[in-house]
Amino acid sequence: MTHLVVNNIERHFGSVKALQGVSFDVHEGEFFCLLGASSAGKTTTLRAIAGLEELSQGSVEFAGEDLTESPVQGRGMSMIFQTFALYPHLSVHANLAYPLVRDGVPRKEIKQRVAEVAELLRVTHTLKRKPSTLSGGEQQRVAIGRAIVRRPKLLLLDEPLTNLDAKLRHDMRAEFKRLHRELGMTMLYATPDQLEALTMGQRIALIRDGKIVESGTPRELYSAPSNTFVASMVGSPVINLINGKISTQGDQNSLQMPFGEVPIATQRFNMSINSGDELTLGVRPNDIHISSDTPAEFNADMSVSGRVHLTEPLGDVTILDIDVSGSLLKLVLPEEKATSYSPGQDIELSFQLSDAHLFMTETGVRVN
Amino acid sequence: MAKQREIGKAGWGRSLFAGIVGFVYFFPVLWIILTAFKTRTDALEIPPKFLFSPTLDNFRSVFFRASISSDSSQATNFILYFFNSIFIAGTAVLLALIIGTLAAYAFSRHPLRGNDTYLFIILTTRMMPPIVVIIPIFLMFRLTGLAGSYWGIILLYTAFNIPFSVWLVKSFFDELNPEIEDAARMDGSTDWRVFFGMCIPQIYAGLAATFVFGMILTWNEFLFALLLTGVETRTVPVAMARTLGGEVGVDYGLLAAIVTLFLIPIFFVTFLLQNQLLRGVTFGTVKK
Repeated sequence: MTHLVVNNIERHFGSVKALQGVSFDVHEGEFFCLLGASSAGKTTTLRAIAGLEELSQGSVEFAGEDLTESPVQGRGMSMIFQTFALYPHLSVHANLAYPLVRDGVPRKEIKQRVAEVAELLRVTHTLKRKPSTLSGGEQQRVAIGRAIVRRPKLLLLDEPLTNLDAKLRHDMRAEFKRLHRELGMTMLYATPDQLEALTMGQRIALIRDGKIVESGTPRELYSAPSNTFVASMVGSPVINLINGKISTQGDQNSLQMPFGEVPIATQRFNMSINSGDELTLGVRPNDIHISSDTPAEFNADMSVSGRVHLTEPLGDVTILDIDVSGSLLKLVLPEEKATSYSPGQDIELSFQLSDAHLFMTETGVRVN
Repeated sequence: MAKQREIGKAGWGRSLFAGIVGFVYFFPVLWIILTAFKTRTDALEIPPKFLFSPTLDNFRSVFFRASISSDSSQATNFILYFFNSIFIAGTAVLLALIIGTLAAYAFSRHPLRGNDTYLFIILTTRMMPPIVVIIPIFLMFRLTGLAGSYWGIILLYTAFNIPFSVWLVKSFFDELNPEIEDAARMDGSTDWRVFFGMCIPQIYAGLAATFVFGMILTWNEFLFALLLTGVETRTVPVAMARTLGGEVGVDYGLLAAIVTLFLIPIFFVTFLLQNQLLRGVTFGTVKK
């Protein structure tokens, strides 16, 4: 069931158009991620849904009700802010109780519900303290607690993990998934981190320059990105994009790239491709292998030789940057295999192109 | 807040230097206080006496003055003048703080078109010496019948304190995290509740600092008080000036006693608020 409908909203700040017709909907009980770089419009979108920003155009519907004109206070939503926004002059207990006090919940019930939430988020030992005396992780959990204590129908999360260190971020990702499962509330989560979006989101909408570029499940966005922007935003390490040109010989089309050419079956493309058109080939780092060591069901469509440019060891895997006739290609190797390669070394690569993506170079739009 | 340094860590040399500078600053105050306890002859002694037998006569004559015509001493109006000073300065500074805080919040959170221009215009009233505007103000007060009344001088001091309050308090509001206010709104608070329940408590220190600075300025104000207060509404600085004259020369002991008494309220206010004051003037400079 559709729960939240964001319909073509626009928000202008003077001549700056922060949102230029953002539309998407979120189902009830869904964990929906809004993924985009900084200043793409994520925060403004969340604030517009919360009612903190006045809309220049468009509408926001929630649970079948048009909220576009209704005040912030009565929307039944909660938000977790990037800065946590804890009330600095109030104790943790008073912070957690604040939304309930405003809702007019009886004192006895407030006490009980604050205790429950504190227990759930493991902040019971901090209840008497002021927020400034808490660690980053504790502050974050109190902020979550304050947002969920009133059991909102929709929880908005504005880059809640940006201010935490890497280890804590990892723990909190699992924490959010657990909370979502246990509380079953609809969550709209804005993040610049594709890893967060892919691991937590049931669906993801990609936003750029105040517009939604594409939305879908993490799998859809990963396996069939609609353009080069989506392809490079989703997936880590980032996809290899190689520019080339179509050349036709008889009825056989091929894509000519700086380091070689591959035959391309243009018949099943969704637009007509002519000789001379410039296309970009997108290959995920996992679809490139070292020729001498390809996996069992691997059909090499193309082989090229290059030189190791640099290695980025990540512990269990290592990312290799390979210089192939001036283009840098990334591939991922398990750590034990990567140790035998060092910068400057010559290397032979094989591509499998069955999962490769083709885009128009000029517009970035997917063609296959 | 930064960790408090160990006391005495600066070493003797620096402590001594700070002590000397502190003494130089405090010396005039000390001098006045000592003079207040001296007899008239001791007060005029050259070189000045630091050892003398103290007397309370000066303080007595602030409030009761020996009369030439009768044996009984006559009460002076100084109790009234002290009340006037406290009442007028206190009310005016408080009013300016209230109005200034409301205006500062508006300037900070709901900027107008040309916000900075308005702020600049507000400040222009503080750019010239008061004596420049004294004549038009005096005429306005005469015309409206405000001259000599409590409300007249309170209004004037309020008006003079508002720019300062607006600027200072605005800087405190600017330092606050606006997401806290948004969070409070989403938690169900009205705009008024956000203001009183969230913003004001966060800047108590700043408000205290603003109050003290305003108080010090207003407490010592002389020129407007001289021209715009009447017999009933006279403030201490004006009354003090009037005791300066006299057929037997200046009574320095009496003057010093008045000044000493005059110092007490402001000293008291500053002392009470000094912790807030320190936090207020360092607001935002220390990463929380």
